[in-house]
Amino acid sequence: MIGATEFYLTLSALLFAIGAAGMLLRRNPLVMFMSIELMLNGVNLAFLTFARLWDNPDGDIFTFLVLTVAAAEAVVGLAIIIAIFRPRQGVDVDEIDEMKG
Amino acid sequence: MIEAGALFLLGAVVVGSALGVVIVPNAVYSVLFLIVNLLGLAVCFLLLNAVFLAAAQVLIYAGAIIVLFLFSITLLSPGGEHISADPRRWQRNVGIVISVALGALLLFLIFGSITGLGTPLPNSGATSGTVEGFGRALFQQFLFPFEITSFVLLVALIGTVIYGSNTLEDIRRGRLPRGER
Repeated sequence: MIGATEFYLTLSALLFAIGAAGMLLRRNPLVMFMSIELMLNGVNLAFLTFARLWDNPDGDIFTFLVLTVAAAEAVVGLAIIIAIFRPRQGVDVDEIDEMKG
Repeated sequence: MIEAGALFLLGAVVVGSALGVVIVPNAVYSVLFLIVNLLGLAVCFLLLNAVFLAAAQVLIYAGAIIVLFLFSITLLSPGGEHISADPRRWQRNVGIVISVALGALLLFLIFGSITGLGTPLPNSGATSGTVEGFGRALFQQFLFPFEITSFVLLVALIGTVIYGSNTLEDIRRGRLPRGER
C-alpha cells in the first residue's frame, strides 16, 4: 500500500499530464482553457502536499497566488476568446490565421 | 483499510473527471466534469488540512470561474461547435505520445528522486494549513507578494474593461473581423 504523500503526488502528476493532453489534442479554445485549469490544479495539489510534508506555509501561499492569477487569467483569456470568436461561426482554433506571415 | 479505499475512490473520481473534461466532445459536459474535478480537489485540500484553500477553491473555481466558462460556451457556440475532423492525424498521435510520455516522466521523477516519501503526513499538530497559520504567513512573511496580487487583479480588471469596450465599439461601427465580411 502506498502512503498518502505518494497518492497526492501521483494524482497531481496525472492531472498535469491529462491537462497537457487536453491542451495538445482539443481544438475548442474553451476546452483548452479548461485543460490549463486542470494543469494549474495539479500543481496546486503538489504544492499543498509538499507544504504539509514539511509543515511549511510557503506551499499554501503559493497555491493562493496561483488561484488568484488563474482567476485573472481566466477572465482576460475568456474576454479575448469571446472577442475573437463572437463574430464567427463556431469555435475552431485552427481557423484563426490572421497573424500568419 | 476503509480510509485507504475512500482515498482511492476520491483519486478515481478526480482522475476520471479530468479525463472526462478532455475526452467528452461537448464543451458543456466538459465544464460539468470540471466541476466534479474541482470539488474532488477541494476534498483533497481538506484532507491535506488546508481549510481556507479548500473554501477558496470552491468559491473561486467551482463558483466564479465555472460560471464564466458556462457563460462563454453558451455565448459562443449555441448551435454546435462547428469543428471539423482534424485533417492531420499524425498531430493527434504525436500529442497523445507526448502527453503519455510527460505523465510517465513526472511519475518516474516523483518516485525516483524525491526523498522523504513514505513518511505519513503530519495531519495533527501541524499549524501550516489552518486559517490562523495561513493568515499569519500571508500577512507577515508574504505581505509584499499579496499586495502584488492585488495589483495583478487591478490590471486584469482594467485591461478587460478597455478590451471589451473597444471590441463593442468596433462592432457597433460595423468594423467586423474578417470572418463576417
